[in-house]
Amino acid sequence: MMSLIKHEIKIDESFYKVEEIRQLTRETFSLILPKARFAFKAGQHISLGIYGDYQSREYSIYSGIKDDHLEVLVKEVNNGYFTPKLRKLKVGDLVEIHGPFGNFGMEPKATETGKFVFIASGTGIAPFRSIARTYPEIDYALIHGVRYTTEAYDRNEYPGDRYILCSSRDTKGTYHGRLTGYLKNCTFAAETQFYLCGNSDMIFDALEILKEMGFERDQIHCEVYF
Amino acid sequence: MSKNKSPHTDSLSPLSGRGLGEASGEAVGLRVAFKTLGCRLNQYETDALVTDFDKAGYQLVSFDESPDVVVVNTCTVTNQSDQKSRTVISQAARKNKDAVVVVTGCMANNFKEKLESQDNITFVVENNRKSSVLALVDAHFSGEILHPNQLPQDVFRYEPVQKSLHTRSAVKIQDGCDNFCTFCIIPMVRGRAVSRPVADVLESVRKTIENGFKEIVITGVNIGRYEDGETRFEDLLVKILDVPGDFRVRISSLEPDGFGDRFVELFSHPKLMPHLHLCLQSGSEKTLLRMRRMYDVGQFRKTIHQFRSFYPEFNFTTDIIVGFPGETEEEFHQTIEAVKEFNFSHVHTFKYSVRKGTRAERLENHVPEKIKTARSLQIRELSEENKLRYYQSLLGKIQNVLVEKATKTKASGYGDLYVPVEFQGKDIQKNTVHTIKLTGFSGEGERLVLVGELVGLCV
Repeated sequence: MMSLIKHEIKIDESFYKVEEIRQLTRETFSLILPKARFAFKAGQHISLGIYGDYQSREYSIYSGIKDDHLEVLVKEVNNGYFTPKLRKLKVGDLVEIHGPFGNFGMEPKATETGKFVFIASGTGIAPFRSIARTYPEIDYALIHGVRYTTEAYDRNEYPGDRYILCSSRDTKGTYHGRLTGYLKNCTFAAETQFYLCGNSDMIFDALEILKEMGFERDQIHCEVYF
Repeated sequence: MSKNKSPHTDSLSPLSGRGLGEASGEAVGLRVAFKTLGCRLNQYETDALVTDFDKAGYQLVSFDESPDVVVVNTCTVTNQSDQKSRTVISQAARKNKDAVVVVTGCMANNFKEKLESQDNITFVVENNRKSSVLALVDAHFSGEILHPNQLPQDVFRYEPVQKSLHTRSAVKIQDGCDNFCTFCIIPMVRGRAVSRPVADVLESVRKTIENGFKEIVITGVNIGRYEDGETRFEDLLVKILDVPGDFRVRISSLEPDGFGDRFVELFSHPKLMPHLHLCLQSGSEKTLLRMRRMYDVGQFRKTIHQFRSFYPEFNFTTDIIVGFPGETEEEFHQTIEAVKEFNFSHVHTFKYSVRKGTRAERLENHVPEKIKTARSLQIRELSEENKLRYYQSLLGKIQNVLVEKATKTKASGYGDLYVPVEFQGKDIQKNTVHTIKLTGFSGEGERLVLVGELVGLCV
């Protein structure tokens, strides 16, 4: 008789109390939760539910793996079902977390020698903040596309020479226009690894630009937001 | 939830002294019927349950032969799967009013509470407890009150298949998926990706071969992501191919990401059969992004070229979803072009259907049913054209055919390339491999079959 019982089924769901809510703009805020036993890799996402509600949504983790709390970045969607409910949460309310999920990110060893370009639209910056906080020595450039420069969430955390802010509706960013406009005029080292996170239209356009520049698809990693 | 329908306890001994999940071997006279819906993994899990019940003394019968137990292994991957599963459950229960009705599989996870509230179902068993269905049924017939939630949770607790409903046997190496494609319910009903330990996989392969199977199918939900310590999918495949014995190996459905040259080279091994079911899903880059697939069309193309440059006749089949939310005419046209270009010999076409709780449910621009139906028809027609062209290219070639069906004068089965082949031959035995020269076709459309002449007996 062969030994058949090897894997215990991991229970990956838990309830967490909201510890703090950080208001970043009029529409965008972050939920700070206790990290407790929650282990993840920088770049992964979780499924977030509200206690008593049957729906859940996926959010990239906004905090680093060494931070003593778990944080997610939320932008309220007008007339949406879920984000207005998240907006109403108060400190002490319960949320339900499943995960972590996904393979978006890099092996820790790769961060020691690799060159990385992170391309984000809006709250798609979340996994890159997690990566930057987890691997402070990593060699990266972060190209962040927003409508208004007020949406440059926690920009003071990134070294000025690594953070490029592309704002399409005001001129206070590094570049005025869409991030794809900026990207077209960039040059990157041949061995660069690209990480793209945001809405599917931005990712599609950025992918095309990078492929036209001659980069292999294997060098480009995508996390689509919905 | 157990409703204790007509327990048959008279002729059976109690289960005292046995652990959960162990068979009694004392169910003489009891009859069990199975019905499986959906994927190869489900088929394998049913086959393993058949082996369990057979070893325990149950007689395997059809739904029409008054079984004492009916086990429906359901699927929930599309609305149609749900519908089929519901129909089978109703028929099984209606035809066998006194039988113990066990419903398991993905629908049991997705609609657990609803199914538990149905009077015509005795037990609802979730996927991670499916391997202990025999213990549950045994307990029921012994008068024990056992709730399915008391069964052990283990997705790999399956015995190697001995008594099977099929000629080839699957070996499960992995379960669950972490990809979270936006259309897919599977991560919710099969759970997180877990890999079976290497030693268990190899032992299962050895025992399956000892049990007389000449072909094994490596199966799981997302087998390309197999990972047990340092052992990845390709490493495991090498170890499986190194198991002594005269058998051939197939790979079930595979996600088209993360292949290296080494994987391609492995197909030069005589045991590894030259066919892959690589799930493209769409030929449109934009649609693939919205589906949250892990590859693009260019990468898929590269994989196909890699294989065909080594093995020109390599057989690729695929899955395509038509009418995914937001799929424009142009995007659908790109899928048509991809199906033509990659020359899949078969396309399993799915009309997109909303799965509650998935991200695609929340996407905008859902495609009307009428358009999905029309697109599905176009892909099916194209698939048939591809199949005919591919089969034509094989005429005059040799295939080693594992016989699945045989009469006194005729036999049929699948060749190395996973193409159906019929041939004439006297008293051909099932589960034997014969060398066949392909000479023509019979049937048409999806039922097209290659016809050949017997050249020799391999095994």
